[in-house]
Amino acid sequence: MFRTELAVVGAGPAGLSAALAASECGVDTLIVDNGSTPGGQLVKQTHKFFGSKAEHAGTRGIHIARLLAGELQRSPQVEYWSESTALGYYEDQVLLVEREGRAHAVHCDALVVATGAAERHMVFPGNDLPGVYGAGAVQTLMNVHGVKPGERVLIVGAGNIGLIVSYQLLQAGVRVAAVVEASRYIGGYAVHASKLRRLSVPILTSHTVKEAHGHEQVERATVWQIDETFTGVPGTEIEFEVDVICLAVGLSPVTDLLCQIGCKMKYVPELGGYVPIRNENMQTTRSEVFVAGDASGVEEGSSAMLTGRLAGYAAAAYLGKCPDFQNKRAECQRALDALRAGPSGQKVRAGLSVVVSMEAGTC
Amino acid sequence: MTRADVIIVGGGIMGCSIAYHLARRGMRRVVVLERSHIASGATGRCGAGVRMQWGTKPNCLVMKESIRILEGLEQELSYPHGIGFKQKGYLFLAHSKAQLIQFQKNVQLQNSLGIPSEIVSPKDMKRIAPLLDTTGVVGGSYCSKDGHCDPFHTTRAYALAATRLGATLLQYTELQSVTKSAEGTFKLTTSAGEIEAPVLVNAAGAWSGYVASMLGVNLPVYSERHQILVTEQVERVLDPMIISLHEGLYCQQTPDGSFIMGLGDPNEPKGLDQGHSWQFLFAVSKKISRLLPDITGVRILRQWSGLYNMSPDRQAVLGAVDDVPGLYVACGFSGHGFMMAPAVSESMADIILGNTPRVAIDVYGLDRFKNGNLFYEPAVV
Amino acid sequence: MRIERHPILTFTKGAKVQFYFEGEPLEGYEGEPIAAALHAAGIRCLRHSPVRNRPRGFFCAIGNCSSCLMVVDGVPNVRVCVEKLRAGMDVRRQKGKGDLNVSD
Repeated sequence: MFRTELAVVGAGPAGLSAALAASECGVDTLIVDNGSTPGGQLVKQTHKFFGSKAEHAGTRGIHIARLLAGELQRSPQVEYWSESTALGYYEDQVLLVEREGRAHAVHCDALVVATGAAERHMVFPGNDLPGVYGAGAVQTLMNVHGVKPGERVLIVGAGNIGLIVSYQLLQAGVRVAAVVEASRYIGGYAVHASKLRRLSVPILTSHTVKEAHGHEQVERATVWQIDETFTGVPGTEIEFEVDVICLAVGLSPVTDLLCQIGCKMKYVPELGGYVPIRNENMQTTRSEVFVAGDASGVEEGSSAMLTGRLAGYAAAAYLGKCPDFQNKRAECQRALDALRAGPSGQKVRAGLSVVVSMEAGTC
Repeated sequence: MTRADVIIVGGGIMGCSIAYHLARRGMRRVVVLERSHIASGATGRCGAGVRMQWGTKPNCLVMKESIRILEGLEQELSYPHGIGFKQKGYLFLAHSKAQLIQFQKNVQLQNSLGIPSEIVSPKDMKRIAPLLDTTGVVGGSYCSKDGHCDPFHTTRAYALAATRLGATLLQYTELQSVTKSAEGTFKLTTSAGEIEAPVLVNAAGAWSGYVASMLGVNLPVYSERHQILVTEQVERVLDPMIISLHEGLYCQQTPDGSFIMGLGDPNEPKGLDQGHSWQFLFAVSKKISRLLPDITGVRILRQWSGLYNMSPDRQAVLGAVDDVPGLYVACGFSGHGFMMAPAVSESMADIILGNTPRVAIDVYGLDRFKNGNLFYEPAVV
Repeated sequence: MRIERHPILTFTKGAKVQFYFEGEPLEGYEGEPIAAALHAAGIRCLRHSPVRNRPRGFFCAIGNCSSCLMVVDGVPNVRVCVEKLRAGMDVRRQKGKGDLNVSD
């Protein structure tokens, strides 16, 4: 049996930040991640981050991943297992981990779950054809592995991810036929949208995919206009000759592990789906289990790093190793409040108001 | 206060099938109370096997009838989605001469009751289950008419048929207390209000002892945890359920292609704990890779546990509770309630209505604990 | 289908190796996901679904969704979006649930 004070599941921005914060407090930490390099989804983000300097604003995601990985290497108290999958967590505080084809029992005194989010799919005829890919998959293929996802792409969803991926496709030499968006408004930042418009990519609001066509893979897509009730309007169909339909229609928190643990969960649409009830210190209803990043509610990379750091300090405090916790907590909270301020943070604030609860334990 | 003719506590296979048979026999106001959703207890957590190979005559007869009913149940209940009943056999492994002699006795009994089981050699067993490693196996018993049935679909089929006949199914409704009035009716307080009825059926599975205690009845049953796991799906490579009483292990490939397996472990906790352990995964993997080495690389998808409601002789406790007129019980199945329900529920309905059941179940009565007429079932994992 | 020039990224690749898809030799880079090597060779249909025999490719590309299950060196249900390519691998489209590799 392997023993560690803290186990962190996930080596994305949240998990890495949690592990680094805890080790800063002198906590022996094991971080397990199913990817082959640390950074989670940062490793395919070629765009520069917004936010404040402390969360690496102005730096590309790929470089933030390298910075965090470098810090990880310099932290002797953090052990990092790549290509390792957390299978389950049991009542005797054992995390079962699959590594190199074997199951390993890891006993931990505290656990941070930073499992991120998964891409949503969408319902239309032909949605299972090869070539209907998640936006993250498109990014992985072209930005991590250097392979073009196709020749001509239809993007579904004009949130930030849809707009950013469109631009990245153009950078990789792939044509973008159009971006379609079901809502009447473009959800992403205007700066991303105008970049695309300058490159003559049409953004069709109040439009969605009606059907994907193709024999063994996507060959064509039919798009149509939708009315206020999101119902398709016959006669408005447009055909696009595309070989990829890229879905950027949102993310859902990956909370399987938290559900299996028995943490009390709540369905919060504003946060992307089922998320764990927790207190202001990211502590769930199971006192030694903390949550961080998109698994606690879908936001973005900068807030993932902050909730990760907060969870790492809180776990250290829970283990009696963070005497300065109140100050560190306040610092993280101030930065989070700044990120979530204004109209763009309204949805997240609404979601958090129902899920951050004293029902969860106290540090 | 809602009035009913009968209230059944528990929406597992037993409660739902008893409700169906009572409604079919003309009982008008049948109510099933279920704290969670139907099949949420032991029914939906069981290994989904059905077999006629038993070591006592009453169990053989009950299961012979159950399997006959299952063969026509989709039609009987007009259930279009299928109940997943597949007769691919059950293969019991004997690891010693003594065990084989016990199996021979069982097969003799089974054959005398018209059950087509047989004693098989290790060579026969390789033919029936080519994946099986027969090292250390001296023989076994096999019945091709045993098999698998889907607990969720079967329970739902009974529940839908019962409601079509006018029964009321109250899911997510918890029984809070029950008293018996001077006039002899049961008054139940539930999370959805009060209900009363002259007849109460306790089919609460692992919680049946607790429900009985509300009326001051002490049932000689207790609950214990059993763990189980299911793997990813692959094309069919294993037909029969494999049971090794020696290893306390059972494993079968279900019609959807996944392997489902469990262990009988004497160290599992008694009580109502439905948790699960990582140690179970290691223990069952080790055992199964000896018996079925080819499935060693198949990935485990999920694990869970369910509760056996155990009786002292590992036999069901069925029928009227003499001390409390109007109270009936169907519990203590010791891990075999799902497969016995088709026959037992029909007999229970007949007994409640004062009819003579087609399959006698009086040997399972509560009075056996007073009279000392226990009859121990040897073939339990 | 490989990206030759990129304004921001440079791609470090493993050694060029040969592997087999449906018995035919193909080239890819050692250590990249099998799905990436196939995609670069223009192969997107990775399996056919068990019930309706529909063509399936990958969807998430990070090992979460199980859309990309193939038979690799005789082992079914391999997630090729995360399984790393090695020289000489025998990669086949999975039909249905995949056949277990059974010893004789």
